[in-house]
Formats: sequence, structure tokens, C-alpha cells
Amino acid sequence: MTHFMALVLFSLLVSVAFAALSSEHHNTQERVKYGAKVFGYFVGVGFLIAWALYFLPI
Amino acid sequence: MISEELSGQIAAPRPATAGRTLAATVATFIVPGLGHLILGKVVRGAIIGGVIIIMFVLGFAMEGHLYKPDPNEWLTWFFSFLNAGMGLPYLVCVLADWGVQITPEQASKVTFEYGNTFLCVAGALNILAAMDTYDIGVGRKS
Repeated sequence: MTHFMALVLFSLLVSVAFAALSSEHHNTQERVKYGAKVFGYFVGVGFLIAWALYFLPI
Repeated sequence: MISEELSGQIAAPRPATAGRTLAATVATFIVPGLGHLILGKVVRGAIIGGVIIIMFVLGFAMEGHLYKPDPNEWLTWFFSFLNAGMGLPYLVCVLADWGVQITPEQASKVTFEYGNTFLCVAGALNILAAMDTYDIGVGRKS
């Protein structure tokens, strides 16, 4: 399993749970949209942080 | 109840009895998602329970381990709290000493820390699921 695969898998599972538990989204369509947004944020922010760390002299 | 859940219509939340709410909240810590099933939220319970169980299993498959509180390492208390959010499965694993000890071979795996994260987040999500169950039970959420 690659780092990216683990990130995608983690993001997918957590975003599904967040969408199901959300109290602000009341129908399936809203929940799916919210879940997709959370998934995108997880993967996008993870990607940005990974690139930022790549350039840091750690 | 299922059709109501899938139709997306916002109905006024109906509180369950105190006993049923308590039973549902406790049930979430026995089997993830069971509390929602008790309150009639079948689809939500199946999704949440499924996700949490998959994360827990994947955590072990990635060679992660469960934490036990160590008085000399304060950070282990935080991770143990997250792990303990799984409820009964965590208790069984800790008492039977399954997945608690770390071998040097296990710690050297690339997925070791991912596994730990999956196990901690599975517990944290189960705590959220228990709170959701309670909110549904008292009529704060539909």
C-alpha cells in the first residue's frame, strides 16, 4: 500500500462517516455533496501538506 | 422508517424513551452502529457501523497496534482514550492482549503509523456515533 492509497482510503472512510453523522444535511443528496466536499478537502490538504514538507529541510 | 430516512424529508425529531436512548448509546460501544439500529436508523447505522469496523480491521491489517495507558508516557493516555472509544472490541483486545504489544518487525513496516491512525480514528468516530445516537434518542436530531 502506498502513502497516497492510505490517504485516499482514510479520507474516503472518514468523509462517509462525517456525511452520515452530519446534523446540518438532511437528505441523501446533501449528504453525498458534503461527503464529496470533505473527501476533496482531506485529499487536497493532505497533498498540499505533503508537498510543503517535501521542500522543508527536515 | 427507512423510507422516511431515504426520502430526505425533514420530520420533527421524536424523542425515544430514556431507557431506549440509554440502551442505544451503550449498544454503540458494544457493536458500532448497533445504537442507530435500535433507534430505527437502519441505513445510518449500517453505514457508520460498517465504516468504523472496516477502519478497525484495516488498522490491524496495516500492522497498527492498540495503546494502553502508560503512567510514564502521558501521550499514551490520549491515544488510549481514542482507542477505547471502540468500546467492547477494545476491552476484549486489551484483556486478551491482542494487538497491544509491538514487535520491532511490526514497527519497521511503512504502514505501521497509518495502522495506528486508523485504529485511533475508528475509536474517535465511534465516540461521535455514540453522541449522535444520544442526540437522536433525546430528540435533538432526526
